[in-house]
Amino acid sequence: MAVKAIPHAKIKKPRTMWGDVVLRFSQNLPAMMGLIVVIGLYAVALLAPILVTTNYTAIDLDNVRSAPSLVHYLGTDELGRDVYSRVVWAARSAAFVSIFVPALSLSLGLFFGIIAGYVGGWVDTIVMRLGDILFAFPGLLFVFFIAATIKPAILLWVKGIGLTEFAKQGFVDYIVVFTALSLVGWPGLARLVRGQFLTLRNREFVLAAEAIGVSQWRIALKHILPNAMTPVIVVVSGGIGGTIAAETSLSFLGIGLQPPNPSWGQMISDYYIYWRNTELWPLLFIPSIILVVIILAFTFVGDGLHEALNPYLD
Amino acid sequence: MSEQKDVLLRVDGLKMYFPITQGIVVQRHVGDVKAVDGLTFDIHQGETLGLVGESGCGKSTTGRAILQLYKPTAGQVIFEGEDITAMRGESLRKMRRRMQMIFQDPYASLNPRMTVGNIVSEPLEVHSLFNGKERREKVKELLDVVGLNPYFVNRYPHEFSGGQRQRIGVARALALNPDFIVCDEPISALDVSIQAQVINLLEDLQQEFGLTYLFIAHDLSVVRHISDRIAVMYLGKLVELTTRDELYANPMHPYSQALLSAVPIPDPVVEEKRQRVILEGDVPSPANPPKGCNFCTRCPKAFEPCYETEPEFKEIESGHWVACHLY
Repeated sequence: MAVKAIPHAKIKKPRTMWGDVVLRFSQNLPAMMGLIVVIGLYAVALLAPILVTTNYTAIDLDNVRSAPSLVHYLGTDELGRDVYSRVVWAARSAAFVSIFVPALSLSLGLFFGIIAGYVGGWVDTIVMRLGDILFAFPGLLFVFFIAATIKPAILLWVKGIGLTEFAKQGFVDYIVVFTALSLVGWPGLARLVRGQFLTLRNREFVLAAEAIGVSQWRIALKHILPNAMTPVIVVVSGGIGGTIAAETSLSFLGIGLQPPNPSWGQMISDYYIYWRNTELWPLLFIPSIILVVIILAFTFVGDGLHEALNPYLD
Repeated sequence: MSEQKDVLLRVDGLKMYFPITQGIVVQRHVGDVKAVDGLTFDIHQGETLGLVGESGCGKSTTGRAILQLYKPTAGQVIFEGEDITAMRGESLRKMRRRMQMIFQDPYASLNPRMTVGNIVSEPLEVHSLFNGKERREKVKELLDVVGLNPYFVNRYPHEFSGGQRQRIGVARALALNPDFIVCDEPISALDVSIQAQVINLLEDLQQEFGLTYLFIAHDLSVVRHISDRIAVMYLGKLVELTTRDELYANPMHPYSQALLSAVPIPDPVVEEKRQRVILEGDVPSPANPPKGCNFCTRCPKAFEPCYETEPEFKEIESGHWVACHLY
């Protein structure tokens, strides 16, 4: 027969899609700077026990409201707590929030989005209307509402399963914050995933998979999902900055992370009275500036991913 | 190939309606798009049945409904004596091994996130055929059969040209060693220079593996080249079905005549004398087909019964089926 392989002298190493993404991302200066800051945040969070000069709850009564010095790099607050150590320790809260909230909202969003988009029918209607109801509330207000109301229930549950020690250590506050932010975060992602599924399920390669005899779940997970993920990655990564800002707002208002757990939002709330104080102003400005830099860094990383994954935008 | 052969696939009264609904909360059913409206034909073992018709007449839908990619509204598809429209789940999945499809758009029919190797080996994987090394060997063999370098297994579809991608699609369809392949306009998205290559490949494969094709196309010269018999479709219905030579020599239905008169002839002297039948107007909406014969609104030979009753699809001469009141 005339069908014969065309000989090729040299077979190049295949270029994968993710290889291209990494290449394009690395050529984006703001995104790379953002990535360095983000990696820095996680490094500080990880190494916090080594970096702190004293325990973040330790009280130095000889130095109350002291200005920055060699002992207390960023001074102390009105209780004599070392601000530098608190700022460092608070990086842990920000790091936790930046990992767990997107992970939780993504799981919920993917689960409901896939079900709605792939099963369709009344399942779709119920899931999406539920999302619409959550959408109808002003986002941050709804977060405040959830955060302010679910704490007793979660506290009860944690004690119920015998984790009384955890309850004392503010573990509950983390759960409250994560739950509140994720509950508000998932409907947007579910909508996005559902939309992707609806468009992709009628594409020819999905029909082709069906013609081969690929099972429904395998089609959903192996054929549709990987193709649906790029916009999802962009939205999730772009939203992390906003999530950290939301946690800060919660803590600023006193319904997020509670003392003694440090959080930058809480510190800004505690120290904003010093904003015109010639000596103690770093107490307010240092956490604020760090917060701004971190949020911007996450936004730049998100934008960089957006451009790297959708190269035809520019 | 005029001698009577075994029937491999019988399509009996196949209908594929897509519902039109209105309303946001409660979906009201207000009508149907009658994409395929009662097709009956046989496909014989080892033959190529060409299916022609203009865009939107339901050719692709027919192909997909035969393979149960769409659940037909009514009618039966009988493959080797078994009604596959009644099959569900696992038995249908097993049946899919024997019937495959080659798609129109080689850019849309390959998953962009899978390597060529994964695309071609997936059918083997989901039907648990071969293992590990054997499966990889089989994939390389398939790529070789369709004229691709077996070293391409780790590449992604975007690294290939349209013709090469279509070969990947062919390799995927061949992987399960099917008896019957629906070729849904497999060459209409390709350059003319590549079209011939793919056509030749399909013909070679047919000889080598004894395949039966349903070849959907709108390019009449290609259909003439590859088909043994040809079915002409208009607005969801068959208007004529006969052998290739008979159709081109003696088209009976006015629509077939108009269609064939549009084929240019590569001889300037003959081409000069070619009489074209120009059809007036547009194809009616498949959601609201005309009363009587579907073609009556544009037919140059229409007379009273055409506007009143639907013509029966009947055998006028041996092996020549026409749906027209003229005969």
